[in-house]
Amino acid sequence: MKMKRRASSVLLGALALIMLITGCSQPGSNSASSPSGGSSETSSASADASMGTGGSAVGFIFVGTKDDYGYNQAAYLGSVAVEEAYPDLKVLRAENVPETAEAERVMEQMIKDGAKIIFPTSYGHLEPALNVAKRHPDVVFFHQGGLKTATNVGTYFGTIWEPVYLAGVAAGKMSKTGKLGYIVSVPIPQVLLNVNAFTLGARSVNPDATTSVVFTGSWCDPGQQANATNSLIDGGVDVLSLHQDCMKTVIETAERRGVMTVGYHADASSLAPNGWITGSLWNWPELFVEMVKTAQDGQFKGSKFDGKYRGTLADNVVQLGSFGANVPADVVQYVEDQKKALLEGTLLPFAGPVKDQSGGVRIAEGETPAVEQLEGSDYLVEGVIGSIPK
Amino acid sequence: MILADILTGAIRSGTSVMLASQGELVSERAGVINLGTEGSMLGGALGGFAVTVWTGNPWLGALAGGLCGLLIASIHAFLVLSCGANQLATGLTIMFFGMGVTAFFGRGFVSEQIVGFNPVALPFLSDIPFLGPVLFNHDPLTYLSILLVPLLWFVIFRTRIGIMLRTAGEREEVLFASGINPKLVRYLAVLAGGFLAGIGGAQLSIAYTHAWVENMTAGRGVVAVALVIFASWKPARAMLGAYLFGAAQALQLTVQQQGYAISPFFLFMVPYLLTLLALLIVERRKSSRTPEALGKVFAGEGSG
Amino acid sequence: MKTQTGTIALPAGRWPSFARWKKRGVQTMIFVAPFVLYGIFLLCYGVNPVDLYVSMVKSAFGDLYGFGEVLLKATPFVLTGLAAALPAKAGLVNVGGEGQLAIGALFATWFAVFYLNAMPAWLGIPLMLIAGALGGALWAGLVAVLKVKGRLNETITSVLLNYVATFTVGFFVHGMLKDPDSFNWPFSPEISSSLRLPIVDGTRLHIGFVVALVLAALVWFVLAKTRLGFRIRVLGSNRLAAERAGFNINKMYFWVLISAGMLAGIAGMIEIAGIEGRLRASTGANFGYLGFLAAMMAWNHPLRLIVTAFLLGMISVAGNTLEIGSGLPSSSVNILMALVLFFILGGRRWSR
Repeated sequence: MKMKRRASSVLLGALALIMLITGCSQPGSNSASSPSGGSSETSSASADASMGTGGSAVGFIFVGTKDDYGYNQAAYLGSVAVEEAYPDLKVLRAENVPETAEAERVMEQMIKDGAKIIFPTSYGHLEPALNVAKRHPDVVFFHQGGLKTATNVGTYFGTIWEPVYLAGVAAGKMSKTGKLGYIVSVPIPQVLLNVNAFTLGARSVNPDATTSVVFTGSWCDPGQQANATNSLIDGGVDVLSLHQDCMKTVIETAERRGVMTVGYHADASSLAPNGWITGSLWNWPELFVEMVKTAQDGQFKGSKFDGKYRGTLADNVVQLGSFGANVPADVVQYVEDQKKALLEGTLLPFAGPVKDQSGGVRIAEGETPAVEQLEGSDYLVEGVIGSIPK
Repeated sequence: MILADILTGAIRSGTSVMLASQGELVSERAGVINLGTEGSMLGGALGGFAVTVWTGNPWLGALAGGLCGLLIASIHAFLVLSCGANQLATGLTIMFFGMGVTAFFGRGFVSEQIVGFNPVALPFLSDIPFLGPVLFNHDPLTYLSILLVPLLWFVIFRTRIGIMLRTAGEREEVLFASGINPKLVRYLAVLAGGFLAGIGGAQLSIAYTHAWVENMTAGRGVVAVALVIFASWKPARAMLGAYLFGAAQALQLTVQQQGYAISPFFLFMVPYLLTLLALLIVERRKSSRTPEALGKVFAGEGSG
Repeated sequence: MKTQTGTIALPAGRWPSFARWKKRGVQTMIFVAPFVLYGIFLLCYGVNPVDLYVSMVKSAFGDLYGFGEVLLKATPFVLTGLAAALPAKAGLVNVGGEGQLAIGALFATWFAVFYLNAMPAWLGIPLMLIAGALGGALWAGLVAVLKVKGRLNETITSVLLNYVATFTVGFFVHGMLKDPDSFNWPFSPEISSSLRLPIVDGTRLHIGFVVALVLAALVWFVLAKTRLGFRIRVLGSNRLAAERAGFNINKMYFWVLISAGMLAGIAGMIEIAGIEGRLRASTGANFGYLGFLAAMMAWNHPLRLIVTAFLLGMISVAGNTLEIGSGLPSSSVNILMALVLFFILGGRRWSR
């Protein structure tokens, strides 16, 4: 019967296809390199020296839009600095690149377009970057915030908790109710670290200060941000900070309601002339330019960027923002003194003992935690009100 | 105190949904369901924000937002009423279209600041204990939206226009017989729905958040459509439903702030689950009250 | 069949009738017009549309990698498209492919990580597939129950449940399914390499595409050639007739939705086993909606769906090229997709 013939031919065709493809294929491979940052096997001495060189373009991929007044904008400004410093290099940009295997395609396209240096700027771009890096050992990847590296993949970040701690000190000094608020998206380590740093800073001047942390579930949902801001203020909070990709709504809403704010990612003091205390900022431009130079000169391997580079306050990779007009001089002086102590090394924000919300000791007395330990934070310190899913 | 906070949050957060619901109510009364309400809301949010940036006048912005929402809804009206397309599929396409178009044209506005609507505490009224701060400390668009409810009720149930609207949705032959073209009535209903949804979106961007970000409505338009069904196509009920949704959103924040160990993800789900639950409860008693033309859409006979 | 006006009297059987050419002409116009409109739109932004369309085709067919990428993109579209097309044939509008894919991916990853780690490929992969199908079926089952028992419209419930699905996945990757080696970042552990789908050398393409093709063929076969398919189509085109004929409508709705869920769930499994390797909160975002689009473009015909899914894959991949090349955001291709759909939805009347 015609029906049966058609059916069997379809099935046969499918079978043939399967056999063809599996015949030409290899079993799917695992993507990641080992967690401690081992190297890929395919490098050779000449590849090491030439990786990153000879490209006609530099690629930047962003997880959000470049106008978000926040995280992505900071990275975007870095890309602009590269553009200005290297007029012969074409700067390729892609925004809204999701943190999935999609990112691989975008990076591959940029490599096809001549890029030998790629900046994946969001944490979730790490795995895709590692995959692409394996296929292109001659391309150097500078990943923002990652904790795994490879031969041609270095990660960079800033010790943003240092200025966040100082901002917490300022907040602790300025708050009259002792109730601080922190609006964040999801409970990832970088976020928890910031909340902790802020709280520790505030409690160093006011041991009874509390931080109410609210998760919105999104990196930039103005509706949720407005809800959260209003809700926190209704609950008695008089200093608000945040870890979101976009800041405007929170800062403006807080300003309208007469609440003080501490910014993050970018300087939004113009949005809150009355309530702005200070903020924590990224300073990528100089760093990016230096990284591109290193790669282009073939110097990547063995450089400080070949691995996990963490720019500190001392390196000026992270900065404490300017103080608002209504911050009294004595507070400014106090915070500046603390900053000096931090830069000199006499003040350590996370010096033990640090206890979590249940009172358990997370960092013992006398202990100074390593960067990796901090960047893997999975707890909230004493004084934080709010819970993280377990 | 917590209760007051939740109620205030309910109104703050629920107004944009409420406006869209009221608009969708008008459209569905005439027999056309517009899932593209989300697209209209986004269009209104962007259009309103953009015009407020350009002119510095939030009232002009609100009006522009309404018009943008209307424009987007007009595509839906055209495809459904004049081309005979499937209402649900077209609505969804409008939703994606709205998302894409506003994301594209809105890029330059993300970092802009506006002089938007701010909450205005009504004198005397806002001093009433408990109810005062809850009800009488909102932005002008919110006040207007509350006034809209009795106005719409009056128009739909006590005026000739309302009769025409309802007849278009129930028995279009009667309209034909009186010399009125039901298609025209439906067109106008859809456009009105789009206008109100646009104002709802504008309220979100100009009044509540003072910001524009792509997809900022985050599903409110879809919820608005669901709430209309929940409300049995009655304006007062739709208002209640919208505030319920707003309360759920406010509740999850309050729960977090109290420090209860409930996963925030579960809390994020609550508003949507609540909407489903509300629909379920109402469904028992609803079927007799569906506008007949709409009933055909749900039964899968497609277009009007 | 309606007789068309304007039939030219030609020797019978020798020439296609004028009416058929007219219909084909209109159908072609419907297909081409959105690209023309979008081209005008691009011109306003200084982008040469011809260049873009050419590069779109070139990157799809120019090299093996590019072709593989398009097929890669098209694979979930085919499956989520089927998840929309099959219920559509029964008269249902299922937009829940998005959530069904996500929960399917969740189930597949869960099983892979906790139970199937040590299994050999020939056993582990089919089991993972079943897990994915189960997850998707469960999620679609919610829509089905709400429709059948609660009499709630499936379009609205499926969209609402999409949001709930995203949060559910978020819940798990932040909690029970979080990779202990991930420094606390929210994604699942990587599934073992024995569970990864075989891929074609030189590309990232995996045999998931073949699975999608086979399933599309299967759905087509059932709909076109079996009695069950016939009944489904009757239900879809004339519910009253189906009722009169004594079909058990609720049962049919239920099982059609479950099947759709299985298809979307398999898409989720394929995403994990084929390309992603682990579950993230954003896995599979928008695949459901794009699949729905592909189904609409194909008028819900399972085999034509393969072509439209491929087309959407091409457009989607082109979006990245567009952005990198011209600076226009990749979301602008959503406008193109919406235009295509507008013309299809609006043009039905004139292409009958």
